[in-house]
Amino acid sequence: MGDEGYKFHKEHLWFKAEGDTALVGITDYAQQQLGDIVYVDLPDVGDEIKKDESLGEVESAKNLSDLIAPVSGEVIEINNDAVDDPSIINKDPMGEGWLLKVKLSDPSELDDLLSEEDYKKLAK
Amino acid sequence: MPKYDVAIIGGGPGGYVAAIRGAQLGGRICVIEKGELGGTCLNWGCIPTKALIASTSVLRYINEAKRYGINIKGDVEADFPAIMERKNKVVATLVNGIKTVFKSYDIDLIKGTGSFLAPHRLKVTLPDGSTQEIEAEKVLIATGSVPAVIPAFPIDGKKIISSDEAVNLKEVPKSILIIGAGAIGCEFAFILHELGCQVTMVEMLAHAVPLEDIDTSKTMDRELKKRKIKLYCSQKVQKVKEDADGMMLATLESGEEIKAEKVLVSIGRVFNVKGLDLENIKVAQGRRGDILVNDRLETNVPGVYAIGDVIGGIMLAHVASKEGIVAVENALGGNKRIDYRVVPATIFSNPEIGSVGLKEREARKQGYDIRIGMFPYRALGKSHAMGEIVGQAKIIADAKTDKILGVHIVGAHATDLVHEAAIAIQHGLTAQQLGDTIHSHPTLSEALMEAAHDVHQIAIDMPKKN
Repeated sequence: MGDEGYKFHKEHLWFKAEGDTALVGITDYAQQQLGDIVYVDLPDVGDEIKKDESLGEVESAKNLSDLIAPVSGEVIEINNDAVDDPSIINKDPMGEGWLLKVKLSDPSELDDLLSEEDYKKLAK
Repeated sequence: MPKYDVAIIGGGPGGYVAAIRGAQLGGRICVIEKGELGGTCLNWGCIPTKALIASTSVLRYINEAKRYGINIKGDVEADFPAIMERKNKVVATLVNGIKTVFKSYDIDLIKGTGSFLAPHRLKVTLPDGSTQEIEAEKVLIATGSVPAVIPAFPIDGKKIISSDEAVNLKEVPKSILIIGAGAIGCEFAFILHELGCQVTMVEMLAHAVPLEDIDTSKTMDRELKKRKIKLYCSQKVQKVKEDADGMMLATLESGEEIKAEKVLVSIGRVFNVKGLDLENIKVAQGRRGDILVNDRLETNVPGVYAIGDVIGGIMLAHVASKEGIVAVENALGGNKRIDYRVVPATIFSNPEIGSVGLKEREARKQGYDIRIGMFPYRALGKSHAMGEIVGQAKIIADAKTDKILGVHIVGAHATDLVHEAAIAIQHGLTAQQLGDTIHSHPTLSEALMEAAHDVHQIAIDMPKKN
């Protein structure tokens, strides 16, 4: 698969391939809209996530929203640092604030994801 | 032989309330109680747990003090024996309070175990073993309930405990497995978690507080998860045995194993008819031995009534009290029926739960076309000012008449806020009427007003819905 950079899902999550696996997190636009994140409810390691379905929730001072999975796959790692200190997600949503490491079950789903340019048009 | 107008067996929230009401109506009343006045509620349940929760709330605020700009310099320690001592004092004060009211009304309190010799003759076995006979025109059975046990691993009072032992623990266990995530299980989960105990829970149904509305359950599931309290749902504990190291090892039906210092069985309560010698009066009993009553709380035996947990039904203290009042009024010549349509339920978890009326699934099952209004605590000014933004108020209304069918509140002070909803439902108010009433700002009760507005999509402090 190789390192393809960031791809985006319309429900404001990003996806970044890293060899066989991929990182998933919320976009900068999402963390701005949410405000201070107080809690993120993630699936357990070993759980399956399904594209376009809720994989968990993010709770901020303003909102409680579903996190919609950008891809389908098995959760192989969760970012416990972000769970323990959700402010990391606000500070660096595209880097240190990553949420899940996933093993893709259907690589063809990547075709449905948006490029950074297309996502920026959505997230104004 | 002393003769009374009404003899009441059991001095809990059902029995003692009936006694006072009976005395107010001019009746000559006696209460036979083998333990302390106030029964399970005052001595083993409602009050002790709320006293413990008051202490753990203080601890919680101290642990979160920095959030509010308060710095604690030095150590903070929860003195568990002192916490229990405070709980004991609270209970003793309230027991004495009831005794004082009894004295003012000339109600005879007889310490002992009551049983039937005949429908209007009771035998009381006193603590020293001697017996006394009592004659009464009418008898009211209010003997309550006991914690339900799981036969595969019964309560041993030390490692496998019920709520009775939980309210009298000598020290905080390092870890505990709570079987049953209903009101009692959840309250203890939050109490023990706050005191540093590692809590794991197993629930037979699909969610925590499964008998509440679905949105209440979902919030509670999330709040437990936030505190790293592992909750196994749709699971049963198959067996529990003691390990070589003295820890308890529980095996779920799935095969998964959970290890904990103690196991708390909080799966519900069972009516208590032990020692009543009911065969002497041939009262009609259900298949399981529960005493059957009509809507006037009379049994099939003329002059014998039964109320509270012993008749099953809604096993709540305030229901027992209401039944006690209706039954004693009937015993003294009245003709009242008990009405269960509006019974608030309150759970002192964190956040609190307050609910009354129909759950969403019940309203749909009963064929109602419904409209739902929801308002999150985090859209309220007071919630943010207080720093308690978790929760929501949910109003279920009949789409045809706009009458409020059910209200489910999760959040700070929900246990008090729910009573506005109880009045609304009791008197057939519509969502519009509740929403039209001015609610003071800034209070948490505005969540109810806005939820009522949301039934008609006109809540103010929420973004426009698409």
